[in-house]
Amino acid sequence: MTWLVRIAMCDMMPATGSLPGLADAGVDAFLAQTRRETTPMVWFGLVLGAVVYVLSPVLTVYVPLPSFLLPRGLRDTHADRICTTHFYLLRQAIFLLKMYACMCWGQDPAVRKRLNVAPYPVDPGTFRTT
Amino acid sequence: MSHVAYQERGDVAVEADFVVVGTGAGGAAAAVTLARGGASVIMVEAGPWREPHDYAHSTYGAMRDMMDDWGSTITMGRALWPVVQARLVGGTTVINSAICVRTPEDIFLEWQRNHGVGDQAFMERMWRFQDQLEDDLCVAETAPESMGRSNELALRGDAAAGYDGHVIKRYAKGCLGSGQCLQGCRSMRKQSTNLNYVPEVLRRGGQLLSSAPAERIVFEGRRAVGVSGRFIHPQTRAKGARFVARARKGVVVAASVTHSPVLLRRSGLTHEAVGAGFRAHPGTGVFGVYDEPVDQNVGVTQGWASTRWREDGGLKLETLSIPMEMAISRLAGGGRAFMERVVGYRHLAMWVHALRARSVGTVRAGFGGKPIVRYGFDAYDMERFRGGMVRVAELHFAAGARAVIPGIHGLPYSLGPHELDILRQGPLDPRRYVAILSHLFGGCMMGRDERTSVCDARGKVHGRDALYVADASLMPDNIGVNPQHTIMSLAMIVAEGAMGVA
Repeated sequence: MTWLVRIAMCDMMPATGSLPGLADAGVDAFLAQTRRETTPMVWFGLVLGAVVYVLSPVLTVYVPLPSFLLPRGLRDTHADRICTTHFYLLRQAIFLLKMYACMCWGQDPAVRKRLNVAPYPVDPGTFRTT
Repeated sequence: MSHVAYQERGDVAVEADFVVVGTGAGGAAAAVTLARGGASVIMVEAGPWREPHDYAHSTYGAMRDMMDDWGSTITMGRALWPVVQARLVGGTTVINSAICVRTPEDIFLEWQRNHGVGDQAFMERMWRFQDQLEDDLCVAETAPESMGRSNELALRGDAAAGYDGHVIKRYAKGCLGSGQCLQGCRSMRKQSTNLNYVPEVLRRGGQLLSSAPAERIVFEGRRAVGVSGRFIHPQTRAKGARFVARARKGVVVAASVTHSPVLLRRSGLTHEAVGAGFRAHPGTGVFGVYDEPVDQNVGVTQGWASTRWREDGGLKLETLSIPMEMAISRLAGGGRAFMERVVGYRHLAMWVHALRARSVGTVRAGFGGKPIVRYGFDAYDMERFRGGMVRVAELHFAAGARAVIPGIHGLPYSLGPHELDILRQGPLDPRRYVAILSHLFGGCMMGRDERTSVCDARGKVHGRDALYVADASLMPDNIGVNPQHTIMSLAMIVAEGAMGVA
């Protein structure tokens, strides 16, 4: 289901004139790492959020198609409306997805330079064994 | 064998005078007090031991390496709000902003009046320990050169609006203002307990089991004689060898507000009071939008605070710069509209309030032993919560912000200085707000009445021998200020009591 999570996350953070989008910010490596490392519950939450995202255009732009079949303009409208939907549980499911999208996007060196925050070196992921 | 990390096989059995479960503010303070008193101590910590050079840089890495269960604990109630706690040697002291605030006198009076604990002698003893902690942990005000623009703006707003604020005192030795508190201070300026008290206990002959979540307290009759569990690998979460840490004189539980009650219940203490009385300081942020770049991640994470409305309103106001990727996730929307908002990130300053809420919840064990926090938020608390956001917004405008972003679902994305009535009349439904619970209390409350409390004023569990609690779960009420100082001094009192010091 990684492809579904990728579609939803990239739609939430497309490239603009001045900022790169998530698709250009190492999302594939990030999702592979997340899938490998995170807990089943967090991954389930991300997949659930992606399913909600992809299947909900009928609620937001009133088109009974999955989000990835929408034209670019409608996809943007859908992304904006589903992130601010009045249905609390849907909004929460989408918020988890958005938070992980932001975590991926925000560690990209080009993004950090553009927003004047120090770049992240590689996380060591180490701990004391003795 | 002073430190035993994850063991795949070969059961581990160790013994000492005392076993302390947890190495955060409560556990480490209790352990060092016991060790200084001449007792031998085994510390049992659920998470791994990470040195500052092991700390993650990114937010993703911090969630993976430092947070309890990837930060996925949330309150179950009308609103689902995250509960922030760490899981590594040093506990939440590694990831917090190291804010040091003395326990206010009125707290002791309330504890005395409502729960029969916390008399004059108790208060004076707490404050003596707090004197000692301030020496031990190099408590100091943040230096002006480390403040950064966001904190400077708050000081400016405070001067204009009269919020009676102050530069925050922190357990930090020459803070460099790197803005990395949440990911752990790699420059070792923040005095988290993994840098001082835990190593001191080991130097005094203590032992540490890391990646070793305690599953059960072992009893012989009414007497606690140790804890048992299995090592869990910090990366793969694979279960490893079994361990048993035996205690000749006592077991001190300081596993956190969410884990201590669950450990007690799992160990057969099913009294109704175990897990009851959960309280918190829910908090949320309001962004100010400034004409000039703020670059809020430059400078100390939290440098300014005001407690002017602590007694009248239950509010504490603070600056707080969280990592950029966490901050932008709070900006509303998705797609191009969202990205256009992110472009202005450099001009944003996030300041927060934390509410001394009166709402009460419970902690129970859920599936797989994961703590389940049930916590609702009543209308009275919601009104004050909203009021706190108004105070923060007014401070932004006093500091020169051209707009504020309240982040409340259903309200306009941003509000100008003449639109604050919209915020004042904002919704009272907690589901409209994005909040977190960072200061937690209760679950193993101390009190005189054995029917409504779990421990006495020295942290000893009612009806059991040689079993003590020494973390924030002891506190019978929330305190309206940052709790680390109170937790540590309370744990020291518990440790002295366990050693038989009058």
